[in-house]
Amino acid sequence: MLGIAWSLSWVLPALNLIAFLGALATYRIKKGIVAAGFSLVAIFAAFVVFWFLVSEVLENGFLSDQMTWFQIAETKIIFGFYVDRLTLLLLGLITFVALIVQVYSFGYMKKEPRFGWFFTVNAFFVASMLALVLADNLLFLYFAWELVGLGSYLLIGFWYERRSAAEAAKKAFITTRIGDVALLIGIIVLFKSTGTFQISTIIDYAQSGLIGSETILIASILIFLGAMGKSAQVPFHVWLPDAMEGPTPVSALIHAATMVVAGVYLVTRMLPLFEISSTTMWVVTIVGMSSFLLAACMAMVMHDIKRVLAYSTISHLGLMMFALGCGAASAAVVHLLAHGVGKAILFLCSGNVSHSLDGETNLMKMGGLLKKLPLTAVLFLIGSISLAGIFPLAGFFSKDEIISGVLDGRGWFFVGVLLIGTVLSSLYLARLWILVFFKNSQYQTEVQHQPNVFMKIPLIVLAIPTVVFGISLAQFNNSFFGLHAWFIEYSQHHFNFLIAILSTLAALLGVFIAWVMIFRKFSENHLMMITFKRIEHILIRKFFFDDFYQFVIDKIILIVANMVALLDRKLVNDILVDGLPKLVYSIGRIVRVFQSGQISHYAFAMIFFASLIFAGWWLLVTNT
Amino acid sequence: MSELIFFYVANILTLGGAITVVIAKNIVYAALGLFVSLIGVAGLFLMGLAQFLALAQILVYGGAIVIVILFALMLTKIEDFRELRDQTHRPIAILASVFIFVLLAASILLTEIRTTQPSEISIEKIGEMLFNQWAIPFEVASIILLIALIGAIVMVRVGQTDD
Amino acid sequence: MIDLVHFQLASAALFSIGIYGVLARRSSILVLMSIELMLNAVNVNLIGYSSFTDFGMDHRILGQIFVIFIITVAAAEFALAVAIILRLYRNLSTVNIDEISSLKG
Repeated sequence: MLGIAWSLSWVLPALNLIAFLGALATYRIKKGIVAAGFSLVAIFAAFVVFWFLVSEVLENGFLSDQMTWFQIAETKIIFGFYVDRLTLLLLGLITFVALIVQVYSFGYMKKEPRFGWFFTVNAFFVASMLALVLADNLLFLYFAWELVGLGSYLLIGFWYERRSAAEAAKKAFITTRIGDVALLIGIIVLFKSTGTFQISTIIDYAQSGLIGSETILIASILIFLGAMGKSAQVPFHVWLPDAMEGPTPVSALIHAATMVVAGVYLVTRMLPLFEISSTTMWVVTIVGMSSFLLAACMAMVMHDIKRVLAYSTISHLGLMMFALGCGAASAAVVHLLAHGVGKAILFLCSGNVSHSLDGETNLMKMGGLLKKLPLTAVLFLIGSISLAGIFPLAGFFSKDEIISGVLDGRGWFFVGVLLIGTVLSSLYLARLWILVFFKNSQYQTEVQHQPNVFMKIPLIVLAIPTVVFGISLAQFNNSFFGLHAWFIEYSQHHFNFLIAILSTLAALLGVFIAWVMIFRKFSENHLMMITFKRIEHILIRKFFFDDFYQFVIDKIILIVANMVALLDRKLVNDILVDGLPKLVYSIGRIVRVFQSGQISHYAFAMIFFASLIFAGWWLLVTNT
Repeated sequence: MSELIFFYVANILTLGGAITVVIAKNIVYAALGLFVSLIGVAGLFLMGLAQFLALAQILVYGGAIVIVILFALMLTKIEDFRELRDQTHRPIAILASVFIFVLLAASILLTEIRTTQPSEISIEKIGEMLFNQWAIPFEVASIILLIALIGAIVMVRVGQTDD
Repeated sequence: MIDLVHFQLASAALFSIGIYGVLARRSSILVLMSIELMLNAVNVNLIGYSSFTDFGMDHRILGQIFVIFIITVAAAEFALAVAIILRLYRNLSTVNIDEISSLKG
């Protein structure tokens, strides 16, 4: 069995890679059905293979496999796979959500002229993402990291005829690029001090004290910067809301469940390294906390459904980072799973809504859709309840885990901050649900058509884990569904009643405030209205992050770029490249004077210089 | 004594002819001056007891080269008076020639070389040398003459095929 | 009484006159004639060395041999030069060397 299992891990990304290549060749055939077929078959097969891997890993603890690509001196560049429980959980999430999303897309993208290309890039993306979580060394991980970024770029800019989509794709790529550079430098720093890219080796070295503490600090901060870029943490978060320009299934897959969790995955993998440096842990905590709160605030005022969900994603990713910063790795990963599934439901439901309303996404123009899209409304409600952290759905348990972890790690103050954030989280989700589905709006929202079967069934399937996870998370024993036992660090779970009650109350408070904000008027108090308006303005301008970045780009970066361009034109081109011929030409013009064409001149020159040579020889050489 | 007179006469012929070549306005006078100069050189050869060479000199130069010059003058219609155009270049030419002469004279007068009375070299000896030690250059010289002959004919041929 | 120095000085004088002629004269044929003068000057010099020095016979005879060859080659060169001048005259209608300057620049 070991023999087969050793290569099983390869199969997952390999299948999707082959599907990608096949789809690449055929994406125009039969309006892209063939390409879609490749992609769907591959992801389904990957999902099936995943379960085989599960049994293998349960048996053996972990799997690893390596293939050397090439070797320079003593350094080998390796394609290596390492499957432990963390990897396994992520593989499950990725294959599951990707499968659901691709089936959903089959219905959602039906009228799309570039149907085949969509599935082609999807296959490419899935292959890269699988490779990323399977990688056992940092170089291979970085390689997959970049490919995932490319996939994201291609998918965000899928409707590239729209200027806003092209800009958004560019923005996403450039912003994450900054993080990617930091990540690469961090990897190199680690390589320089350990001589290897293998994650397990690096962690061993770090834990036995073989790496200097400054090196660990620098490397971990750099790696975290990379994670911040991909996982849209403040201040690198600005690309994720704009990334909503892509099709909704893309948002569900990439920007809720898979790519953005790459950063969280990276931090979790390298957590033993991070934990050595308490400064880094504090940085992670603060960044996570800031993202959690700031994004939640911004989500409260957005008018576009998908943008609300995007900010919500940033917020929950911040929450995961927050948990990681407090050392609660298992809590963070559990929340990763719960959020991945829950957010995917929300995105796909919003896809249903906008598809039915022929592309409308402004929630101010919607209302009362509960009657017209009942299934969607219920599923959306399930997803929201889960993410808000209300019992008994998955999100409650994961949030509970996080709060206990934070309490153990950092103390009550941070728990308080967390609870405030919880209030905000449920606030914006409640606002969203109420405005879209419940409240009757003055706009005539006529549903153009009902979502088709491909768009309904996957959603139901997706909702099952949300419900079931919650129950399974409550199991403490070592059974198959006992997810606690799945983590390398098994932290004893205390079911703290106080915390459970506090978090539930916080969530309910959020719902209440939302209700009040929407249905009652605050207009008696003029001062409060003005304050609210001011706050709302700041929030709507997204805390002016985008404006600040644009300013930096215009005033600083473009000016430097212009100076460099000028330098290139003048120095390199005019002086170095053109200068040499010009010099030769001018010398030639001077020398030309001596070529008069007059034979007597030439004769004179010959005679004169010959006599000079003779005189010189006679005077200097001979002794007379 | 008589040698000295002969020597000076030869010198006068040589140098006088040479000056005529370079000064005369009439170009035919210049050609004749060349002839006279070459005869003078033959006389100088005689003073050096190189009789064969003196003979060769007269035959080649006087018999052939001057004739060629006269033919060339006939074929290229040259005006008789070229005085005006000569003037501009005189200073530099005088300068150069005087400079060379001074240089050469200085080197001649300042160099010590042992000299003896002239002794004759028989023509048999020259023949012997030419055919033994210097046979190859001799043959090559004949080839040079052949080439010159062919070349000259080819170059002045009137016809479509130009070189 | 006649010494090597006399020959050498005669040779030097003839040579200088030849140089003057090369530089001053405008007609190509006259330049050619001046060149002949220079060659003859060299011949005189060589004969002088051949006669008046006391090297062995093998060395002294070299002077005369050399002169033979010089005369030969000079004659060949002269013929060719005249051919060239005639050709030039046919193309440019002039033998004034100031006007034969198409190699200018």
